[in-house]
Amino acid sequence: MTLTHYLTLGAIVFLIGIFGALTRRNIIGILMSIELIFNAANINLAAFNRFLHPQGVAGQAVALFFITIAAAEVVVGLALVLAIYRNTDTVYVEDFSLLKG
Amino acid sequence: MLEHAYLIPLLPLTTSLIILLFFKEDSHSPAPYLGLAAMFWCFVQSVVIFYGAASGASALPYEANWTWFSFAADVAGKGFTVPMPIGILIDGPASVMLVVVTLVSFLVQLYSLGYMHGDPRFKRYYAFLSFFTASMLGLVVSSNLLVTFACWELVGVSSYLLIGFWFEKPGPAYASKKAFMTTKLGDCGLYLALLLIWAKFGTFNITAMTVSAAMPGYLSTAAATAIGLGILFGAAGKSAQWPLFIWLPDAMEGPTPVSALIHAATMVAAGIYLVGKTYFIFVHSDIAMGAVAWTGLVTALLTATMALVAYDIKRVLAFSTVSQLGFMMCALGCGGYTAGLFHLTTHAFFKALLFLGAGSVIHAVHTNDMRQMGGLAKKMPFTFATMFIGTLAISGIPPFAGYYSKDMILEKVYAYNHVMFYLLTFAALLTAFYMFRMVFLTFVGDDRDHEKHHHAHESPWVMLGPLVLLAFLSFVSGFGLEHGGLFERLVNFKLPEGLVPETEAPAHLGLYVTGLVVASIMLSWRLYGRNDFRLAESLKSRFSILFSVLENRYGMDALFLGLVAFCDRVAKFAFWFDSSVIDQFFVDSWGLVTTLLAELSALVDNIFVDRTVDGFGGLSMDAGVLLRSLVTHGQAQEYLMYIAVAVSLFTILILSR
Repeated sequence: MTLTHYLTLGAIVFLIGIFGALTRRNIIGILMSIELIFNAANINLAAFNRFLHPQGVAGQAVALFFITIAAAEVVVGLALVLAIYRNTDTVYVEDFSLLKG
Repeated sequence: MLEHAYLIPLLPLTTSLIILLFFKEDSHSPAPYLGLAAMFWCFVQSVVIFYGAASGASALPYEANWTWFSFAADVAGKGFTVPMPIGILIDGPASVMLVVVTLVSFLVQLYSLGYMHGDPRFKRYYAFLSFFTASMLGLVVSSNLLVTFACWELVGVSSYLLIGFWFEKPGPAYASKKAFMTTKLGDCGLYLALLLIWAKFGTFNITAMTVSAAMPGYLSTAAATAIGLGILFGAAGKSAQWPLFIWLPDAMEGPTPVSALIHAATMVAAGIYLVGKTYFIFVHSDIAMGAVAWTGLVTALLTATMALVAYDIKRVLAFSTVSQLGFMMCALGCGGYTAGLFHLTTHAFFKALLFLGAGSVIHAVHTNDMRQMGGLAKKMPFTFATMFIGTLAISGIPPFAGYYSKDMILEKVYAYNHVMFYLLTFAALLTAFYMFRMVFLTFVGDDRDHEKHHHAHESPWVMLGPLVLLAFLSFVSGFGLEHGGLFERLVNFKLPEGLVPETEAPAHLGLYVTGLVVASIMLSWRLYGRNDFRLAESLKSRFSILFSVLENRYGMDALFLGLVAFCDRVAKFAFWFDSSVIDQFFVDSWGLVTTLLAELSALVDNIFVDRTVDGFGGLSMDAGVLLRSLVTHGQAQEYLMYIAVAVSLFTILILSR
């Protein structure tokens, strides 16, 4: 198991996240995809920390912060999703076009 | 008394304001008594001042000045404050004039109680009378030529108000306007003279000016001439001298007591008095003195001849006033300062008497036309007697007042210029002739209008009282004032050497003249006194051209009306030029050009500038709309895709370098 493997895993997870965010119609799915993107970044952080600076903990600490922030972000995001759902009775993002110019 | 002399003009002024503001118009209004009381007080005070001056108890001249205003001036880069005091100056002439003005005004007000009885504007009449007198008194006592000028104008205003007192009738309204405008024309000259005086002396204080003018070489002849001629022109307007005498005969439209006041004490005396007051300027210029003398002579002659043919009793008196004022002017011009002012004093008494007498006659017969009178002597003995005394006085029969003053004038004129003397003597003969003509036509002979004669009655005592008093003064004021050189002592002016030739008039000159005057009266008796007018009528028809010239007042009225019409034409032309040429052609066409240019500019602005600007704006907008339709569908995932693609592209770009 080398650094490359972890980075590859991170990239795959990131791309899955991007793909999900771009293609899912359900906004909950999009939120989950975004979580995947976060976690891809966290994998990368932990991997870099383990292989490049094994004696330090900065990367892991930042990853921990990111997990916390992601949790907070999901709270806000889900609150927004709920509010939108209450107003529009839908969870499909193509219907959210209020800001269309 | 002397230190409270400022009360003399202020008291009537206050009275007039009080009457005007606080009294109601009412035939039983106490307003006249207030006016009378104020005037009586002024008269008493004036008499005390005069007595003090005559007995030598008080030292004249008395002068007191108070601060009026001051202003900052800048002369040749140096700034300083110039004070303009207001004050009183009582000298000999002023002390005499005060008595004359207050006495005549008092008697006129007393007389008016009867004459104006029942007039609907009784109270206003008394307010105006007081105001008129106050203005004249202010003029007399003022120590400052600027204040004098202000009073001078107030005299003009009050005369306007009083001549046009019955303003609802067209005659008085016209006459008051004429008097005002004509005197204003003269005032222009006086105003110019005042400007010159300020430029020359730098003060309006008469005492200071006298001191300056007495310094040798201070006042150049040219300056004195210019100032003198300006003052003379103003005085000619006020004192009705040629050529500005046209207003005085028309001023007869006012109430008769007002005529008496104007002719005796207030208005026309102002001009003579002003010349007397500024005499120290005149004596520096032969030309100015000559102008004064000749103006007076021409006036005396012209108006005396006009009086010969007048049938309006007041007109005759008006012409005689102008003529007598001419005598005074002539005397002043010939160096007879004392003589001129002496005649002013005596004339005030007998002219007031004559006018009030004429008013009494008019009051009785309700007409001014002497052709409808005649034989009134029996009906109105007191009026006749007093007027006869006045006529004797004005004709210069000794020992009446006019003899002394006229004699003094003729002596002075004889010394100055013989031709002038003969012409003036001729005017004096004419005076006697037309005055007796008036008396004969009015009081002697048969009654020519029986109805009017039948209704005629003697006037009430309130009117006769002033007549009697004035008749007494017309008798005594001549020798009374001349006695012991009293007047000469009070009113004199030391002429510079060589101004007038030192020729002594021949002895008994006055007696010769008196002889001629008596002959003139005889002639008048022959023509008008014997109830036989055939000779007068035949003379009139033979010299009808001359008569019509005289009746038309030598065309002076026509001349001035023509002048007015000419000015009117000039004004109309100027108006036309202004409105048609300047306004329409220059101003309006310039405006038109401006408008056209503005429209052109607007066109260019609209077409080129604005459309360019709008074009750029529209282009941006169109581009925006186009681009918006390309990229914005409101789909969040679409935007995210763009971001992803862009980030990918940039990443590839960066990595490939």
